[in-house]
Amino acid sequence: MRDERRRAPRRPMGDEASSAFPGALVYLGMSGGVDSALAAALLVERGYDVRAVYMRNWSRDLPGFKCRWSDDLADAERVCVTLGIGLEVWDCEAEYKATVVDYLVDAYARGYTPNPDVMCNQTIKFGSFARRAFAAGADAVATGHYARVRAGGDGHAHLLRARDEHKDQTYFLWRVDEEVLAHTLFPVGDVRDKAQVRRMCAERGLGVETKPDSDGICFVGEVGIRSFLLDALERRPGKIVEWETGRELGRHEGAFLFTVGQRRGLDLGGGPRRYVVDTDVERNVVYVTDDPDSPGLMCDELRLKDVRWISGEPPRGDALTVRCRHTGTLVPAEVEPILGREPVAAGAAAIVHFSSTQRRVAPGQSVVVYDGLRCLGGGIVSR
Amino acid sequence: MTTSCQGVPATGAREVYLDYAAATPMDPRVIEAMLPYLGERFWNPSAPYRRARQAKDAVEDARRRLARVIGARPDNLVLTAGATEANNLAFAAVDAQADAMVLVDAIEHESVLSCAAARPHRVMGVGSDGRLDPRALEAALSAEVGLVSVELANGEIGAIQPIRRLSQVVAAERRRRLEVGERRPLWLHVDASQAAGHLSVNVSTLGADLMTLSASKIYGPKQVGLLWASDDVTLSPLILGGGQEGGLRSGTENVAGVVAFAAALELADGLRAQESRRLRDLRNRLQRQILTACPWAWVSGPRKDARRLPGLLHLCFPLLDARRLVILLERRGVSVGTGSACAASKMRVSHVLSAIGVPDEVAAGSLRLTLGRPTTEDEVTYAAEALVAAVHDEMGRLRLSEDDMCAASRELRVAVGGRSPYA
Repeated sequence: MRDERRRAPRRPMGDEASSAFPGALVYLGMSGGVDSALAAALLVERGYDVRAVYMRNWSRDLPGFKCRWSDDLADAERVCVTLGIGLEVWDCEAEYKATVVDYLVDAYARGYTPNPDVMCNQTIKFGSFARRAFAAGADAVATGHYARVRAGGDGHAHLLRARDEHKDQTYFLWRVDEEVLAHTLFPVGDVRDKAQVRRMCAERGLGVETKPDSDGICFVGEVGIRSFLLDALERRPGKIVEWETGRELGRHEGAFLFTVGQRRGLDLGGGPRRYVVDTDVERNVVYVTDDPDSPGLMCDELRLKDVRWISGEPPRGDALTVRCRHTGTLVPAEVEPILGREPVAAGAAAIVHFSSTQRRVAPGQSVVVYDGLRCLGGGIVSR
Repeated sequence: MTTSCQGVPATGAREVYLDYAAATPMDPRVIEAMLPYLGERFWNPSAPYRRARQAKDAVEDARRRLARVIGARPDNLVLTAGATEANNLAFAAVDAQADAMVLVDAIEHESVLSCAAARPHRVMGVGSDGRLDPRALEAALSAEVGLVSVELANGEIGAIQPIRRLSQVVAAERRRRLEVGERRPLWLHVDASQAAGHLSVNVSTLGADLMTLSASKIYGPKQVGLLWASDDVTLSPLILGGGQEGGLRSGTENVAGVVAFAAALELADGLRAQESRRLRDLRNRLQRQILTACPWAWVSGPRKDARRLPGLLHLCFPLLDARRLVILLERRGVSVGTGSACAASKMRVSHVLSAIGVPDEVAAGSLRLTLGRPTTEDEVTYAAEALVAAVHDEMGRLRLSEDDMCAASRELRVAVGGRSPYA
């Protein structure tokens, strides 16, 4: 990263600053969706020299798994032809498999509920894609994410939540390197809302404005995580146990299939609605409760591991908020870094103390810390 | 140049469809013929009451009419859900032989290549014009071969195979086996789906033992086709059930579909001579118009009119990306294909172009334009203009001059040893 970065001019620092440099070479990651289509159009209109790239991450065709990549590529291509810009296809499949798909399966196997999008952004979009773009001479990279980057007065690039709070995607961006963020453009982050994004696409004749929002993990698609995991991991029948009493209530096909707070898929043959309180993948036991307010589903603090702070410095101040799921409520909290491990920016731990009791968060999930609009970084919930 | 279309949606003022090898619209006469069997005559041909006989009779009448056009006996036809199924059924026949090998050429349709790949097989190379040399077949025809499968005409580059001469080679091998007392049967399967609208599909003239036809390429409905098999071939069913089609293809007959198929094939047969001439002239006009503006473009397939499907023009634009040309053309209302549809969606270089020695960087810029019954001279003129404009748009975006294109075309041709017949 460092070497390539020297090739890029220091000045473009986030959306605001870099709009001053028409002609700058920008590599844009395009998905074929509405957001990156508008990003492309806005960058062209702002006078950048735009090279669009479609990252081919997943093309495995499994029975029952329908991957839309060729349709998406055709849509991306249509947008690029309309805008008169080039589109390259970069094959990221091997890397994606290794760092996102395998990571996902491995984490589930160990009883965690990971956020593959966080990993994809870190290692693919703002990892290998950005490195390759800068090596090709890019002054900046861009994506259609709902987020903003501003040059802070402190010499740091500040990652800010998008103007549309309902669509904000900073929850998935907390592990992106500051150096990359400093040379990243998020043209859609300033648009009022998704409806406006669609309108702007329609006005420009991009032909994607009616495409449905894609959510969920792209390679898991419509079949859902359960079928995906059952394809990747061995079935392992085990007990479903009542958390309060230790009584066996039923059987499951593998504790790795369950996550804290989960309600569906327990198949206990009637009875009250039950929630997963905990899973033990080693003993292969799933603990459930019928009390939605069970103390086992609540917490006052969360232990985080693999903590990263974008600026490299742990958060300070008492006005911090945290978010435990994408577009989840911002909850006031104190963040207590656990010192004693160097460097503090990577691999460190922290404890998040909530001001009020919160619902528990599954191990493996991201907890992201904010100071006002600014995303400071976060960590991964440990066991 | 590229700004000309920026932000402006396609006007839709004019729609020209030039992808008739991918799909044909149903002829209104065909629709008319099939409609009663979708509504008032909906009965199951196997039902016991008197009225249902009308449905059964309709199927048998259609079978007779189809058989008449191909010069065959009605009971040698198996009606299937399209050409792919018919090809699968043809290959399944060989499984009854012990250790039989199948022989195909390299530019067959995916359905034939996949059927071959599932069995002991050998693939024969073709010439740079896509034609299979009968001598190549002769050399490949070893004693363990039980089935040879060759397409009558290729749907991507339009190469028409010398089927009669190929069938003579097969017949000679059969005679040899008879003389030396070898028992293995040898059959020639001809996939005529792409050819039926343009060439005679008489089974005895072709000298075939098995032949596939499709309704969807001759202005009939999709998912309707047939396999003809001579008396010498014993078929075995792939789809088991109620024993329809003489037990060879179970499932309630697609009554409306086969009625439409018969109507479509009869129409195609009646119009064939006149329509082939008309399409050939239009295609040659299209080719001239495009090559005049882009003399550096490559035309694939056989050079002689008699060896190339009349309504088909396959072009390669070196240095350009076919998918972008398709989009630029679509914005001007013109629909064209990029090789075979399956290959295009998988974003692989077409196996047909690889087999005839087109380098990947040329194949990436290849378009297939196919004309059909509704195509007019006016449409051809418009499409040629649109294509030339699209090509110029892309050249402008990539800052390529005419000289660059000529030089690249020449270099690439030298690189492949001047193999393109239009060199």
